[in-house]
Amino acid sequence: MNAADLQLFYHPKDRLRMTVGEDRSYPTVKPVWAAPLSHPEKYLSLLDGKGDEITTIPDPASLPAASKVAVDAELYRRYLTADIAQVIHAKTEFGATYWTVDTNRGRRDFVTQNLQENAQWLSPVHIMLIDVDGNRFEITDKTALDTKSQEFIAAIL
Amino acid sequence: MPDAPVVRAESGLIPDDTKFDIRLESDFGDDGQFALRHLEIANGTVRVTEANGATSFTIPIAEIKSARNEPLVGGGRLEITTTGGEVLPIISYSQTVAAKFSEAARGIEQLAKGQPLEINIKDEKVRCPKCDRLLPEKDGICPACVNRGKTMLRIGSFVQPYRWQMAALATLSLVTTVLNLLPPYIQGQLIDKVLKQGKDFNQLYMLMAGWLAILAINSVLQVVNGRTIAFLAGRIAADLRSAVYRAIEFLQLQFFDKKQVGAIASRVTSDTDRVWGFLVDGVPYLLLNGLTLVGIIGFLFYTNAFLAACILAPVPIILGIGAFFWKPMSQMFHRVGQKWARFHTQLNESLMGIRVVKVFANEDKEYAKFQDRNHELRDAGVSADTRWYTIFGAMSFFTSLGGLICWTVGGTMVMHGQLSLGEFWRVTAYLGLVYGPLQWFSQVNQWFSRAMAGAERIFEVIDTDKENYRPEGIKHEIKGEVTFSDVRFGYDKSNPVLKNITFTAKPGEMIGLVGKSGAGKSTTINLICRFYEPDAGTILIDGIDYRDIALQDMRRQVGVVLQEPFLFNGTIAENIAYGNPEATLDKVIEAAKAANAHNFILSKPDGYDTMVGERGGKMSGGERQRISIARAILHDPKVLILDEATSSVDVETEKQIQEAIQRLIKGRTTFAIAHRLSTLRNASRLVVLEKGEIAEIGTHAELMEKQGKFYDLVQTQSAVQEIIGIGS
Repeated sequence: MNAADLQLFYHPKDRLRMTVGEDRSYPTVKPVWAAPLSHPEKYLSLLDGKGDEITTIPDPASLPAASKVAVDAELYRRYLTADIAQVIHAKTEFGATYWTVDTNRGRRDFVTQNLQENAQWLSPVHIMLIDVDGNRFEITDKTALDTKSQEFIAAIL
Repeated sequence: MPDAPVVRAESGLIPDDTKFDIRLESDFGDDGQFALRHLEIANGTVRVTEANGATSFTIPIAEIKSARNEPLVGGGRLEITTTGGEVLPIISYSQTVAAKFSEAARGIEQLAKGQPLEINIKDEKVRCPKCDRLLPEKDGICPACVNRGKTMLRIGSFVQPYRWQMAALATLSLVTTVLNLLPPYIQGQLIDKVLKQGKDFNQLYMLMAGWLAILAINSVLQVVNGRTIAFLAGRIAADLRSAVYRAIEFLQLQFFDKKQVGAIASRVTSDTDRVWGFLVDGVPYLLLNGLTLVGIIGFLFYTNAFLAACILAPVPIILGIGAFFWKPMSQMFHRVGQKWARFHTQLNESLMGIRVVKVFANEDKEYAKFQDRNHELRDAGVSADTRWYTIFGAMSFFTSLGGLICWTVGGTMVMHGQLSLGEFWRVTAYLGLVYGPLQWFSQVNQWFSRAMAGAERIFEVIDTDKENYRPEGIKHEIKGEVTFSDVRFGYDKSNPVLKNITFTAKPGEMIGLVGKSGAGKSTTINLICRFYEPDAGTILIDGIDYRDIALQDMRRQVGVVLQEPFLFNGTIAENIAYGNPEATLDKVIEAAKAANAHNFILSKPDGYDTMVGERGGKMSGGERQRISIARAILHDPKVLILDEATSSVDVETEKQIQEAIQRLIKGRTTFAIAHRLSTLRNASRLVVLEKGEIAEIGTHAELMEKQGKFYDLVQTQSAVQEIIGIGS
């Protein structure tokens, strides 16, 4: 399938739908990242209502602009990962680390334990923190954060 | 598109004073930002209200067909399907509250079907009521507010059996300290009273004899002290390890699912080490050095207040350096520990997978990974040690400064006759006793905290919910009827793996569990073994809710043969008799014969006394399997579980195992999962599972005739085997 032929849009309001060229239509489409950690923003798989793959797009930027907007909106809904923009405070006490962070979804307090397992270094600068409930907080580039945030991260991780 | 029978109201249909059937807080707003919203169900209506109280969504329950939790990455979304067929995502939430919303979805469905509301939403504490910190576990302890006094008392309970030895240790240590203070005093006397006059040899020898006596007594006391510490350390450490291991043994399987084996093992090893280390080494160290310090400082001031004040002037600086640098320093050492763990994981993995590494000729790639970890470890170690020696150097400077000040001020005072030479000598000698312990005192808080954290982790295990080993449970001789009644279960409560499972296995029946992978077959077996208990519905054994039966009594009557049988390091005979250690060799041989294992066992040089190796590593797959079948036969269970028991052996061995299984299942209620569907031909009935629900039940012949799900599965498998046949 050619990504440029895929028309993705919401219809009805909360359901992402897709038509391929003039001939096919999928009433329910779920976008999922095939390898969100190693290949962020690449390899977008589109699944049908049963969860079977319709197609995988190596570069979602090649989607028509309106489709890309709709897909991004659905991905934002499906991936409740928060991107950390600033570490306001972080402290380890008695085996638990308490974090207060500003994210792209607003401010959040969370607590992590056993950072050896729950702080995953996806690259030397890319970190995924998983809190005690399984919520995900991502730092895509720790060097892009402010100095204070970097100090907190260096001290704890 | 179907008509949407949805009322989207600006104002709620539910009056403000309503008693809610369900009211839950969600933590995501409609725009995907963190925000407070509520899901409210009352008066036959489901609605969502925003933080400002405005209602953003309303639908009458009468217009709902079903509700479900749609799992998202890092959370979930409650979706409602209307009677018109429209799917409406109504509220998103994080993983923190997902289980509650899943339960709410079940509640909505119950109400939609006109059933009474039977759900279990616990009101859990997520923050500490005292300090408002988030709790690491909902309804769990707040590590910051945990009562240190209580923890100390609990730790103290491990010392209780050895209280006399502890008291002796404290007394001995006290006496040793006092004795350690005496030689400088004698030296002072020697200088002032003997050497200055240079004539009284008797007094010289008297003082020397006293000194010798002190040395001798001190040496004896040190030996006794050391032996007492060895006695206490060994015993308290062993008691702690036993207590933690015993607690772990009885924990629910969820605990093991969540944590890695290494992390659990570290509670038995390193956490217990921290605690006993603190008890046996730390507490006496603190007491002694604390007392010594107070005593010496007091004595220094008594000797000469001005000199004492001068030589103690660098003390606040040393304490300050310790307090300031200790935390970052300990974090650096902690990081070195983490790097060691990563290094070990990498090393273990590549060595355990050495065959795969060689087959793929990936030695260079593995070496590169090893080097990565190795360099990480090197860099962390170098960085921590470099900083440590820098700080240590600074501390040493200020420590030495004490000596310099002592000689400068003290020397001047001696020369002015304000201080005798003997007094000066005493002060100099005591100086070392002050500065030595001071360097380490800044770590005391850290030391104490580490021991407390270790103790809390130990007590967390000891206090974690155990499996339901109620002593008052019924003792029941199982006949073999197993009934699933509307059973629902999920490892993650927000995502049920089994739903509405209802069927009965009659005594002696063989039930084949069939379905694609992930359909819920193994979960059904986990529930039968009572490794987990249903979230809703009941499992009855001979008509009794199995939760009322004493757990160990029940498990003694259930046998399991797994795909990868686990053998313990020991002899073949010991492994066969694992469930029945009293069994005679005759019985063991009888079981081995029934399991078609006797002949291969006899072909081994040591026969039944052959060691099977760690995890049975010295046996082949088929041998391990037959030993495990013999073990199950000797165990003589009333309910038997066969989990893919013949999937990984050659055809001849499989034939032998099949024969053994036929003998094994006679007269027992058996639940079997088999990869090859044809091996379930002899099952009394087959339960076909699909996405956690029963799709079909019937005999092999009935289901084939019906040409439904099972038929499809068989056709797919036949087609696949044919393709494999052609390919090979």
